[in-house]
Amino acid sequence: MSRLGRIAAETTAAWYAFTRRRTAVFFTFFFPVIIILIFGALVGTEPTGGGLFAEPAGYYIAGYLAVVVLFTPLSRVGSEVARHRDGNRFEKLATTPLTRAEWLLAQTLVNVAVIGLASVLILALVLVVTDATFAFSALVVPYLAFAVALFCGFGAILGRVADSQDGVVAASNGVALPLLFLSETFVTVEMLPSWFVPLMDLSPLTYFARGIRAATYRPAGELPPVGGTGLVGADPYLNLLVLALLSVGFFAVGAYALPRTD
Amino acid sequence: MVIRAENVRRRYGDTVALDGVSFSVESGEVFALIGPNGAGKTTLIRALTGTTQAEGTVELLGGAPEDAARHRIGLLPQEFSPAERLTARELLAYYAGLYDQSRDPDSVLDDVGLTDSADTYYENLSGGQKRRVCVGTALVNAPDVLILDEPTTGIDPNGRRELWALIEGLADTGTTVLLTTHYMEEAETLADRVGLLADGKLVELGSPEELIERHGGDSRLVVEADDAADATRALERAGYHLLPDETHVAVAAGPRDIPDIADALDDAGVDYEGLLWRQPGLDDVYVALTGTDVTATGDPITEGQP
Repeated sequence: MSRLGRIAAETTAAWYAFTRRRTAVFFTFFFPVIIILIFGALVGTEPTGGGLFAEPAGYYIAGYLAVVVLFTPLSRVGSEVARHRDGNRFEKLATTPLTRAEWLLAQTLVNVAVIGLASVLILALVLVVTDATFAFSALVVPYLAFAVALFCGFGAILGRVADSQDGVVAASNGVALPLLFLSETFVTVEMLPSWFVPLMDLSPLTYFARGIRAATYRPAGELPPVGGTGLVGADPYLNLLVLALLSVGFFAVGAYALPRTD
Repeated sequence: MVIRAENVRRRYGDTVALDGVSFSVESGEVFALIGPNGAGKTTLIRALTGTTQAEGTVELLGGAPEDAARHRIGLLPQEFSPAERLTARELLAYYAGLYDQSRDPDSVLDDVGLTDSADTYYENLSGGQKRRVCVGTALVNAPDVLILDEPTTGIDPNGRRELWALIEGLADTGTTVLLTTHYMEEAETLADRVGLLADGKLVELGSPEELIERHGGDSRLVVEADDAADATRALERAGYHLLPDETHVAVAAGPRDIPDIADALDDAGVDYEGLLWRQPGLDDVYVALTGTDVTATGDPITEGQP
């Protein structure tokens, strides 16, 4: 009960602290919207036989969701760590019963809620502005939750490593952009050199994108994908398992990385 | 014994922040750490709360700081800055929510004099109000030991006195208080004992009265004269012992000496604007031991500069 109470107190405070920063809220939702409008509507996704965005619109839904599960937790938690450190809040929290894992869990819960809302917005927008089809699967929920937890942990590590809020923003961009485009989100495996393909298995986002696609993407007239590339192929459950294991690892390292001393 | 530090050392690169500091704080005691900026006060607070790794022995509530029962500790860090977009009440409710048992946030708001600003966002409070909220966050769990790093910095004189009364009230009920301050009056008013840190060393330790007795010097009469040289000559001729004072003429004198000194100045035809008698205080101890006067922010006062 007391642990739940602490997490509830931290979650409530973190939720208010985030939702009352209007620009942060606005751009959290504006970012995926503008990505969809650019790549889904402006550039277009008509199959052309080659090049970027040549797949059917539904193929890229996993990529749009990857944008929010990657960028938002990474930058938000990283910046929150920097803000807490600059304001000596961790020094204060070190003398309270709240543990580092509880703090990070509370931040993760806030991010899961925010990104859950953003994902609903993304799906609605994609279906409205493109001709994408989306086979809803309940697996989307744990995929989102585990991916958010993973990148919250990653964000905590970046917050620890970077010595300022500016440093966190630069570091999260430096990490997120390569991950986003080299994790089978918007760039298909066929477009990459063969020697690089095994390296994609090192990106946690690859398992998210492959798994979401395996669970929800049904090109017209095709059966659910089987086999596929990568360590665990296109099995949505195996990809979810790998993602879950990675998220536990990143979360634990992130919690440990949170500053307690100077 | 609630706090014990034995030969505590902390170094940051080539800088020695703490150099063999030893002292202890008994249950129910109010202990004040004073000293210039960079003396090591905040580092010592961090060592005592386990938020910096220091050499030597540090005990809080009878064990290592990181093992201390956290519900018994209330900490106000220096330059503490909580979430900006929470109201004063929400901030106190948040910190209260981290404990199994805590005080009603509204009663803490009342203690720190912020009932009228309870629903104001932290970022919209004045500097003094912000500091009061921060003090409140250290009180929400009704701690047995209260550690306050510069609790009244930025608070106006009335607010400071209200917080002094609050701290005195807590001490009267048995709360152990360790605070740092640049206000000598604060240390003199609140503290049972004072430790003076300079360059990472604890250079003096004792009750305010003991420190003043040892280092404060004589009570003095300050003569505010237009012509300091005339006043100096007149007082020397009358047999008074002149004290070093950079800005005024000052002699060692008790209150009964004042009429005779006034007569000596009148007899010598010295014009003076005022006579100011005062007993030595912790300010004098501070000047005597650190060789510098100090502002409320802890910065040394340099003549001719604001």
